[in-house]
Amino acid sequence: MPTVTVNGKRVNAPEGATILEAARLAGIEIPTLCWYPKLPVVGNCRICVVSVEGQPKLLPACATKVSDGMTIATESEEAVEARREVLRLLLERYPADHLRNGGRAQPRNEFERYVVQYGVEPTPVAERDLSLREGDERPGDPMIRHDMSLCILCTRCVRACEDIQVVGVLDVAYRGEHAQIIVGNDGDPDKAACTWCGECVRVCPTGAIFEVLPRERFGEHPVRSDRVVRSVCPYCGVGCQVDLHVRDNEVVRVTSPDILLDTPNQGSTCVKGRFGYDFVQHRDRLTRPLIRKGWVKREGRWVWEGPTGELRRSGPWRTIAGEGVELKPPAPPRATGKRLRDLPLLERVTQDIRDRAATPAEWYEPFREATWEEALDLVASELARIHRERGPGAMAVFQSAKCSNEENYLLQRLFRARFGTNNVDHCTRLCHSTSVSAMQAALNTAAASGSMREIEEACDVIFIAGANTTETHPVFGAAIKRAHKRGAFLIVADPRKIELARRADIHLQMQPGTDVALFNAMLNHILACGLENQEFIAKRTKNFEAVRRAVQPYTPERAEAITGVPAALIREAAERYARGPNTTTLWAMGLTQHLTGHDMVTALLNLILATGMIGRWGAAMMPVRGQNNVQGASDMGAIPFVYPDYQPVSDPKIREKFARVWGVDPESMSLEPGLKVTEMAREDSPIRALYIMGENPIISDPDIAHAEAWFATLEFLAVQDLFLTETARYADVVLPGASFAEKTGTYVNTERRIQIAHKAIEPPGEARADWEIIVDLSNRLGLPTPFKSPEEVMEEIRKVAPAWAGVTYRRLEGAGLQYPVPTEDHPGTPFLFADRFPTEDGKATFHPVEYSDPAELPDEEYPFVMNTGRQLYHWHTGTMTRRSRGLDAREPLAVVEIHPEDAEELGVTEGDPVRITSRRGTIVTSVRISDRVARRQVFVPFHFREAAANLLTSPVLEPHAKMAELKVCAVRIEKVPVEAAV
Amino acid sequence: MSAAPEKAAYEPVFTGDRLKELEAIMARYPTKRAALLPALWMVQQARGWISEEAMVEVAEILDLTPAYVKGVVTFYTMYHQHPVGKHFIQVCTTTPCNLCGAEDVLAAFLKHTGCEELGATSPDGKYTVVEVECLGACGFATAVLIGDDFLENVTAEKVPEILKRYQ
Repeated sequence: MPTVTVNGKRVNAPEGATILEAARLAGIEIPTLCWYPKLPVVGNCRICVVSVEGQPKLLPACATKVSDGMTIATESEEAVEARREVLRLLLERYPADHLRNGGRAQPRNEFERYVVQYGVEPTPVAERDLSLREGDERPGDPMIRHDMSLCILCTRCVRACEDIQVVGVLDVAYRGEHAQIIVGNDGDPDKAACTWCGECVRVCPTGAIFEVLPRERFGEHPVRSDRVVRSVCPYCGVGCQVDLHVRDNEVVRVTSPDILLDTPNQGSTCVKGRFGYDFVQHRDRLTRPLIRKGWVKREGRWVWEGPTGELRRSGPWRTIAGEGVELKPPAPPRATGKRLRDLPLLERVTQDIRDRAATPAEWYEPFREATWEEALDLVASELARIHRERGPGAMAVFQSAKCSNEENYLLQRLFRARFGTNNVDHCTRLCHSTSVSAMQAALNTAAASGSMREIEEACDVIFIAGANTTETHPVFGAAIKRAHKRGAFLIVADPRKIELARRADIHLQMQPGTDVALFNAMLNHILACGLENQEFIAKRTKNFEAVRRAVQPYTPERAEAITGVPAALIREAAERYARGPNTTTLWAMGLTQHLTGHDMVTALLNLILATGMIGRWGAAMMPVRGQNNVQGASDMGAIPFVYPDYQPVSDPKIREKFARVWGVDPESMSLEPGLKVTEMAREDSPIRALYIMGENPIISDPDIAHAEAWFATLEFLAVQDLFLTETARYADVVLPGASFAEKTGTYVNTERRIQIAHKAIEPPGEARADWEIIVDLSNRLGLPTPFKSPEEVMEEIRKVAPAWAGVTYRRLEGAGLQYPVPTEDHPGTPFLFADRFPTEDGKATFHPVEYSDPAELPDEEYPFVMNTGRQLYHWHTGTMTRRSRGLDAREPLAVVEIHPEDAEELGVTEGDPVRITSRRGTIVTSVRISDRVARRQVFVPFHFREAAANLLTSPVLEPHAKMAELKVCAVRIEKVPVEAAV
Repeated sequence: MSAAPEKAAYEPVFTGDRLKELEAIMARYPTKRAALLPALWMVQQARGWISEEAMVEVAEILDLTPAYVKGVVTFYTMYHQHPVGKHFIQVCTTTPCNLCGAEDVLAAFLKHTGCEELGATSPDGKYTVVEVECLGACGFATAVLIGDDFLENVTAEKVPEILKRYQ
């Protein structure tokens, strides 16, 4: 270990450390511009030069490795003068008139701070020979623009785009004084595959690349904020930590924490995290409770005096099905040349067709504003009445994977303890419920075994099945791309040619819904080659022989006939998978949302277990979680068959434990598993009273037309949400909740990491934090609920959830904790199952599975297979993202992706309206030609109310977890005559 | 987001034999990226210049980004970013050539080709004339490069005669 002296201070630097790193170890800062943590060192700015004894020249600290005995002076006269010269040269092209006057002016950015610190006097712009710098500027971009006169060509943005996000939109072009930053090779970020992640904005030291939203709103550079609050991004399951910059009571900007901090995102965010926060301040936010007109209180009792029958929940809106078949206005013309769409400011977006996701004014008509006292009184008395009159079986609650652990805990506590029902569920049903059922059967677990970090650091082979990670979990997607870049072998099994599939070493492009055959064939070949991990199978699993027999008939040739993937490719993938040495397996909705979802995940688990690719750092089993807190909501018992921490409701001892903590009679709580979301919204359902917190099932559930009709038949419906959503418009009472920025709470990401998000601003108007609403409601209903803060709720969670026993709010600051955390001194668990599985005998169980066809196969009448899913810029039912100006500007319209050859056969081109019909319904949407989809397959994102994909999807349910088959349904596509569309 | 429809379909440069040639070049290097300069030369030979579409094509073949390819194309002066005449005429005007009348040679080329202006292409599309730094033939000034042909001891008087050979 070399010992060096920096400014007279002795430091032991690690082998291979640079002077810069050694100086930082000694607590000495050396100025840097082109250098940035984790980016490749280019050493082009020379501002970090230092004097080294015995060296005739100054040396760049960022690019010079220390050697033993080096004596370094970071602020020697020569070094400082050289730095001043560097700054002087950079200032020759930089608009710095405001920095004159001997540096008394306020520096606006990193670069200007050095100018002021070293007292460099810029030449007035008017007296210079060289003009200001130029470059591609993304004019009219809704999120990121450039002011390249501020560029100092440090190339941090170029390297961040290339090496952190692995996209490569930016580069340096031209030479000498004409050198400049370019966007793609023609200035069009779209063509250059930009994902608008804003990594370039984050690393830019001068603000030459900047966020549009805050500057358009405040017109300042930089935008001033009063304070910065650490929070957790409200979108996907990666759980990126974000910093909310607050001014008055407004989030003015979102940045990511330092790249060197231990956070799941390591300094990155995606476009949604960085630019998708303005929904918080959208004018549509509910600010007071709403009560449906017709409810009146007479002699201390609430009575319904409004219309009955079909008119009971009607309103001045069209049904989703009605909107779906309507012809849509044509897409706004794409601006010509290099100019992107220029959008009006948020406040001015009213008549724009892109604003259709905003709540139409007439939707409020059936409601009147109410006080909290009235609204909660009505909810409490109606829930109590229906419970009294119709029994526990008539009560149900949809919880929220968007709300915190504390809120989910409180809500299931209310329904289980006060109403004695286990009709408690949330959107995991349509997400990873089949993964959970398969993982519980095989390993008795319900979460990922490893961490996202190990993919980047330690795994040799990455196998991704049915997960479009770069769009749905972009920050994790970038980590996978980095892993691939460093040499990990990437295998992608997906019917679509998604970005990762294009980059993959092997792409297994199978027919939709044929995964079981594919995985069984991979295992067949692994066994044929003797590549299985016999030691692992013998010591840590059972029932292997049944699977060996079951996969016998699944030769790669037979699988080729079923899946369409060449047998040779299946063989190569299988061998690579089994040889590892460390293979990580990822999957998501592409497997789970099938009639055979449970079987697909089981087949994949068989593959994992037979090769022993689990329980080591680098060999992880990762179901990639969708929502920011879908893991946490499940952990908190928002599932019909378990209490918090997956303790079965059918076990009387466990019931007794919970009853004691919740202060109720154990006999009043049910031992029967409750109904699942997909079983509740059906014509024969016993549910009469429904409470929904932060979900929009009318858009997200399959076969919307039926679901929408069912919601209208409920006796009582209460919805707690940020907006008057498509679901909330049918409610009797709408309670305005708080967004992630307006409350403190904890969330669990896809790698079991519990993180804390702090309250940054007050909710708008009279809106209240969701936990407060539930506490208030619970107390009104007579369930003792004494909590004064989310922290007190966590104290109770710790008592009942053994895996969370060591979790305290104090410990969650910083990186958070990966559960299990059994004690307060336990450091958390980055990966599980090193020695045993959490089953009685510690062994995992193989379950043989057979392939069967999806419920609907294409036929003459419905010749296409429709797949649904998410886009990069939108989130689920669009409640948040379509109210976010930048995001909605990127994807303003509902589309269907069609293969170029199919489009030609149908006689349609880009943007043409088409009618898509399944056995359930019809939508009209516009064509996007894309070779991402295979022939005879189409992809319809499910974010758009006006062309809701779920009008078409099939409500057929998977037998184990009651998952709907959202990924496969047969459809017919017809061209809509253009005259009709005008 | 999808791109706007192209005005005219782009004909790829690298098909058939040319693709095989590029593959042979790629095989010589440890990385695909290393074949970028020869690939760009092949584009220029085939098309006379390197268009934005061609940059995208090269980027796709070599697993690079279009921005990176543009960075390289624009760094070197000998890659043409705009269409040039059939015959690309480079006249050396560095000191020795200059002393031997390079300015007159240049003026003669501009006049007799009809280009009128440096860097412009003649109305008949045949010629583009540019001024270059030292061509390394100071003993035989003035030196001129037309396409791949190296011409020495060129004088203004010889220009019309020379041009007859380049029609």
